[in-house]
Amino acid sequence: MLLQLNNIFKWVNSGGQRIFLLKDINLEVEEGEFISIMGPSGSGKSTLLNVIGMLDTFDEGEYNFLEESVHDLKEKHRANLYKEYIGFVFQSYHLLDELTVQENLEMPLIYKKFKGSERKAMVADMLDRFSIVGKKDLFPAQLSGGQQQLVGIARALISNPKLILADEPTGNLNSKQGEEIMELFKQLNDEGVTIIQVTHSEKNAEYGSRIINLLDGRMI
Amino acid sequence: MYKLYLKIASRYLFKNKLYSFINIFGLTVGIASFILIMLYVNHEHSYDKFEGSDRVYRVYMDYLEGGKYVPGDANAYILSGPALQEQFPEIEEFARLRRLGEVVLLHDDGIFDHNTASLADPTYFDVFDRSLEKGDIANALSEPYSIVLSTALSKKIFGDADPLGKTLKIAGSGDLLFTVTGTMDNKGYNTHLKNDFLVSFKTFYTWERFKQDWDYTWNQNAYFTYIKVDKNADIAQLGQKIMDYVPEGLKNERHHIEPIEDIHLNSNKPYEAETNGNGNNVRFLAIIAFITLLLCWMNYMNLSSSKSLERAKEVGIRKVVGAKKPQLALQFLLESALLNFVAIILAMLSVYILLPSFNDLVEQDLGLDKAQLMSLLPYLAIMLVGASLAAFYPAFVLTRFNPTKALKGKAQTSSGGAFFIKSLVVCQFVATIALLIGTFVANKQIHFLKNRPIGANLEPVIALKGQVLNKTSDSLFNMSFDAFEDELRKIPYIAEVTGAGTYPGDSFDNLNSNMGITFPNGKTDEKHIWYNYSVGAEYFDVMGMEFVAGGPFIQTSQKSSNNVVINEKMVHFMEVTDVESIVGKTINYWGADWTVAGVIKDYNHSGMKSPVVPMVIRHTRNSQNVLVKLDRKAMTMGNTEKALDDMNRIWHQIFPVSTYNYTFLDQKYEALFKDEQKFAKAFQLFTVLAILIASLGLFGLTSYTCLQRTKEIGIRKVNGATITQILSLLNKDFVKWVGLAFVIAVPVAWYAMDKWLSVFAYKTPLSWWVFALAGILALMIALLTVSWQSLKAAMTNPVESLRSE
Ligand SMILES: Nc1ncnc2c1ncn2[C@@H]1O[C@H](COP(=O)(O)OP(=O)(O)O)[C@@H](O)[C@H]1O
Ligand SMILES: [Mg+2]
Repeated sequence: MLLQLNNIFKWVNSGGQRIFLLKDINLEVEEGEFISIMGPSGSGKSTLLNVIGMLDTFDEGEYNFLEESVHDLKEKHRANLYKEYIGFVFQSYHLLDELTVQENLEMPLIYKKFKGSERKAMVADMLDRFSIVGKKDLFPAQLSGGQQQLVGIARALISNPKLILADEPTGNLNSKQGEEIMELFKQLNDEGVTIIQVTHSEKNAEYGSRIINLLDGRMI
Repeated sequence: MYKLYLKIASRYLFKNKLYSFINIFGLTVGIASFILIMLYVNHEHSYDKFEGSDRVYRVYMDYLEGGKYVPGDANAYILSGPALQEQFPEIEEFARLRRLGEVVLLHDDGIFDHNTASLADPTYFDVFDRSLEKGDIANALSEPYSIVLSTALSKKIFGDADPLGKTLKIAGSGDLLFTVTGTMDNKGYNTHLKNDFLVSFKTFYTWERFKQDWDYTWNQNAYFTYIKVDKNADIAQLGQKIMDYVPEGLKNERHHIEPIEDIHLNSNKPYEAETNGNGNNVRFLAIIAFITLLLCWMNYMNLSSSKSLERAKEVGIRKVVGAKKPQLALQFLLESALLNFVAIILAMLSVYILLPSFNDLVEQDLGLDKAQLMSLLPYLAIMLVGASLAAFYPAFVLTRFNPTKALKGKAQTSSGGAFFIKSLVVCQFVATIALLIGTFVANKQIHFLKNRPIGANLEPVIALKGQVLNKTSDSLFNMSFDAFEDELRKIPYIAEVTGAGTYPGDSFDNLNSNMGITFPNGKTDEKHIWYNYSVGAEYFDVMGMEFVAGGPFIQTSQKSSNNVVINEKMVHFMEVTDVESIVGKTINYWGADWTVAGVIKDYNHSGMKSPVVPMVIRHTRNSQNVLVKLDRKAMTMGNTEKALDDMNRIWHQIFPVSTYNYTFLDQKYEALFKDEQKFAKAFQLFTVLAILIASLGLFGLTSYTCLQRTKEIGIRKVNGATITQILSLLNKDFVKWVGLAFVIAVPVAWYAMDKWLSVFAYKTPLSWWVFALAGILALMIALLTVSWQSLKAAMTNPVESLRSE
């Protein structure tokens, strides 16, 4: 089993009132799954994804990731854990504007302390795999949205994560571009990468093996 | 409309409290520093500025030394004034002033001491554009035995009674009566030549005190001489003619003139009327004042440009609802005007409150009277212009925003704006580092001077000085004086006592300067200046001066002999290599033979600004000063007070009718570089303030960059960057800028401080570590300021920064 959420609650206090963002979430994810999270705007999809990605904390419950009890870990430990096993894909790609495609891909490797030569090889490999070798020296602004998201996914994949978390990865793309991204996800999933994506589109959700519906922070 | 704008502006400033506070605080500190320094600088520049002062010059003498003329001393000859006026029609008038030394006035039973006074030609009032409070200015100094008192002194002596026509005695001049013919108000009169009273020059011809000068020849050179020249005179030409003019009877010297306005700040000759200010220091302070002002405006521009990014949305909305560029600009200008106005008011208030403490620091009595305020008006104008310029930039940046983009709340990065802000920060750091280096060097130099061996032990020595007012005969007086010294010797905690004409750190006036001496080998030197003074035999013991050959005067039963002690510099001057060979030999000057009893190591007689001079010390009975060396070991803790009491009591037992005062030699010596110490203190204070201002600027810039890079920081963190890595990413740039600033600041500071040091005879080296220390300190300050904000940015949860989609 890759990860397991037991009775997860998350809330914020506002004006003396407790507002629940996540309510009693129970979720088990096996390696190799492809899960789609759906739900109306504000239902807590991103929040859930961030909790799974360990970018955000929760207030109650247990979270086990690869036999580690995330709820007991110190922040630094948690950071090391997600650095090693999780890749993130965002709706607005979140590429660094002042870095080239190649440099954007290299950035996470620097933080993961890969040696220069290794980095070069891994970046080259990734450029090849996504057929964007010709664009390696361009800046994000010179690419189309679909191409940018391609780079975003390549960056998420570059250090071989076990899990890809994608928050509305096709939200800013037209349907054709979106389809391509979904095909890519499918292919990655077939290669063994676990994927959890948030999506508003029924069609895209169908690519997954399982759909989770959220409403007001609760799984239904 | 303005009212509405003003309302919006003040509301905005209230809402953004931290921003407004930092801004107003920075501006207030900067402007207040500027005003304070300029008050001081203005004061120093106000010396001898009066109606027509640009036409008044002081005549001084150049000496021919080693074939070249060197500035000699501040005095000229008694004949210089009359001779020059006769020779050069451009000279309308001359006025001579002959210092009287410290004078004690007697009136009825009252004794009034510590007076600085001069003989003065009647032309004094005209040349110096003085007026009298009471008395007839045309005749006040025309008759012998006329005396013109300062208003303050008149009040001290006569109270509210009319002083005109009253008579006074001068101690030491028997029953001679001097008649008060006028009073002059010295309050607010800044001059290098201060006088508590003036005696008519005509008194000179019959006053016994000047008997030795009565032959009225080119021998008496203790006369300050000022000339007033014709409006149309060609000064350069006149100066040259005066230099070329050699009156009969004058040899190896020539006359030279200098503007009276320059004396206080730029003249440091032997025999000045007082220790003048240091023009270098004043110029430095003025530069610091402007740097501080500039810094605080740069800061202001910096902060408001950074802040403007946060206001993009506001500008967008205003533009969409139809605001035009000029209207927007007006709004921001008003905001900025309001802020600057508040700062200027606060700065004025601070100056008003801080002035007494500042006066203590610089040992001045600076006031904020109307005249001073008026003199600040031009600077206030500069401030207002500066403030509006400072306001212009942010207004310009803000109005340039593209409304549709701005509406999305996106901060727009214009690389030009970023470059502008970065340049400002680099400039601020150049100033900071340069000021730090300056402070370090100034303090290092003062430390160096303080700790440099003088060649004499001044610490346990006190100089007693008094004037006996009922002196009947010299022999009786001498007996009493010997008795006084003997009484002192009996006190267990007094180690030794000696009479001395002068001592290290004492005024130049008590030192004789000479030219012409015949050495033991028969060679005669007519070209070099050397100095001499007279002391008792115990002097060298009291002062702890070391002998390199021979010893103190051979004690005879008499208190005077033809023995002299010379210093190494004098030996060097004789071109003798074997010091021992001089001892017991005869030198000749003043038409007499003198036996060299010993040679002492060189010591600095007149402070560390001047080099060691050749010196001859004569053995003569002396009642000018009694130098007392205390035996600190024989004293119980803190018993100096008692010693002073004892000495005072004994003096007055022996001389019941007399004045009396004492001086600690070490304190007096240290006062010789008081100006430098004041300068270092002021320098230090304003450096700290400048750094404070620069840090505020950096603070603003950091918030700007952090804001700009929020998204980037978030992305990097999600991709695995640690807090440390983010911190170093954010701080790297600042380190680079400080490095750049360092590279610019070092040569500037090196040049400036080298110049500052050039007036000292002994200089501390400009060590590399001073520069390194300043650089490191600036870097540390920068990193501390920056890290406070960048740490906050680095620690922010990336979820927060990436959410806003
Ligand atoms: N830190 C927070 N403080 C307060 N409210 C939050 C916080 N994070 C999320 N929310 C709120 O929780 C709800 C769920 O947000 P989110 O997970 O982003 O929804 P979704 O991604 O499903 O649209 C929203 O109403 C959002 O405003
Ligand atoms: Mg969302």
